[in-house]
Amino acid sequence: MTVYLRQVAAIVRKDLLLEVRTGERLAAMGALTVLVAVLFHFAIDQGLVRMQLLAAGLIWMTILFGGMLGMGRTFEMEREQGAIQGLLTSPVPLDGIYLAKVVSNFILVTLIEVVALAAYWLFFGFNYGNDPLLLAGVLGVATLGFVAVTTLFSAISAQTNMGQTLLPILIFPLLVPVVIFGVTATGRIFASRPVQEVEGSLYLLAAFTVVALTAGTILFRYVVEE
Amino acid sequence: MPATAAASRAGPPVLEAASLVRDYGPVRAVNHVSFRLGAGEFLSVFGPNGAGKTSLLRLLAGGLRPTSGEVRVSGIPLTVGDRAARARIGILSHLSFLYGRLTARENLRFYGRLHGLGDLDSRVPDRLADVGLERYADSPVDTLSRGTVQRLAVARALLHDPGIVLLDEPYTGLDAYAGAMLQELLSALKDGGRTVVMVTHNLGRGLELADRVAIQVRGSFVFEAERADLDAAGLERSYRRAVEGRA
Repeated sequence: MTVYLRQVAAIVRKDLLLEVRTGERLAAMGALTVLVAVLFHFAIDQGLVRMQLLAAGLIWMTILFGGMLGMGRTFEMEREQGAIQGLLTSPVPLDGIYLAKVVSNFILVTLIEVVALAAYWLFFGFNYGNDPLLLAGVLGVATLGFVAVTTLFSAISAQTNMGQTLLPILIFPLLVPVVIFGVTATGRIFASRPVQEVEGSLYLLAAFTVVALTAGTILFRYVVEE
Repeated sequence: MPATAAASRAGPPVLEAASLVRDYGPVRAVNHVSFRLGAGEFLSVFGPNGAGKTSLLRLLAGGLRPTSGEVRVSGIPLTVGDRAARARIGILSHLSFLYGRLTARENLRFYGRLHGLGDLDSRVPDRLADVGLERYADSPVDTLSRGTVQRLAVARALLHDPGIVLLDEPYTGLDAYAGAMLQELLSALKDGGRTVVMVTHNLGRGLELADRVAIQVRGSFVFEAERADLDAAGLERSYRRAVEGRA
């Protein structure tokens, strides 16, 4: 088990180091996140609409679009010089490769969420409620479900010529539960509703995440094996 | 002497292909290939483009699932994802499997961690020294020449001291000097009791290193011979005959 975790950690570390060196995915995701917030700022007449009521929806859509942009390139860095073959023929179990990619994607999307929350606070002055821990928990669980699905499908789309185009088409229908329960839970947290009103959505998000992670762990080998 | 028949000479087989077949849809890339290699044996497989050489090597590496037949490592069937077997195999391709934005040292440490090696502080500098790249240890791979990258790829492939080494067109893209340097490194593989399979277009270099040779055309081994029974001209004649005969 220790060796397994070390192998997973090695891939995560390598992915993050490459991201720090190139900044490719993070810069694109961050720029899109801020741009979407800016566009909403100009596109919505804040004199007619109570923006706080839209906060959860706007933030989640921004995170999903921004996240998708980076997640689609999860396996791009592995295609350079055939590095994916180096990974696939190493002693690392295939589920370990998948989990490592999920972890590194989770870290990147979490950073994007921080950027999104800051941007919306800056442009709209959103109130994020009075329970930051619960908010972090909901965002964390939903993000894990999001990246579990997206990482698997980015492996699928990486093997097609239409990869980047195909990914959103494949993935958005599957992300409906994250959108519904994520928006519901965060909307109630933003409105400082009691924890009991958030629990139901949080449990459903957690169930989705467990199913997505389990399915991804099992199915990844069938995606990459030839 | 056919390669299969010669297996007993080299002791129990370390690497064995048993009637390997691999189809890609209607196309048969590898067609009932069988051989047995003992410890320290070097098999060079020649063949034209599209002969199925790389598919064969990927089957031997456990990176590709055979349609039928099997690969055995020390008598144990190799399954895709077999961790123990993979730890015994090193792969060198014309692609380096290295990350351009990481330094030579970082790349080797990464692969060392994947193999669960614990002595990387000493092992990585040693391997870099083995291929003469100590001074490039902290250079990003992107800044290195093709020949230097390929030497680094040799260090990567041998980092975990594999008993079996698979070489896939290792000379591709190398100039004469870099090719000669690589040849020197690869000839050192023969001293360590390693079992090596190399697929290449390069008849001269492949023959120089080989103990046994095979020619693969349209997926099948159409010619097999002991190195001792063959000279360069003989190999070239056999190669031409094999390729033209199946064209």
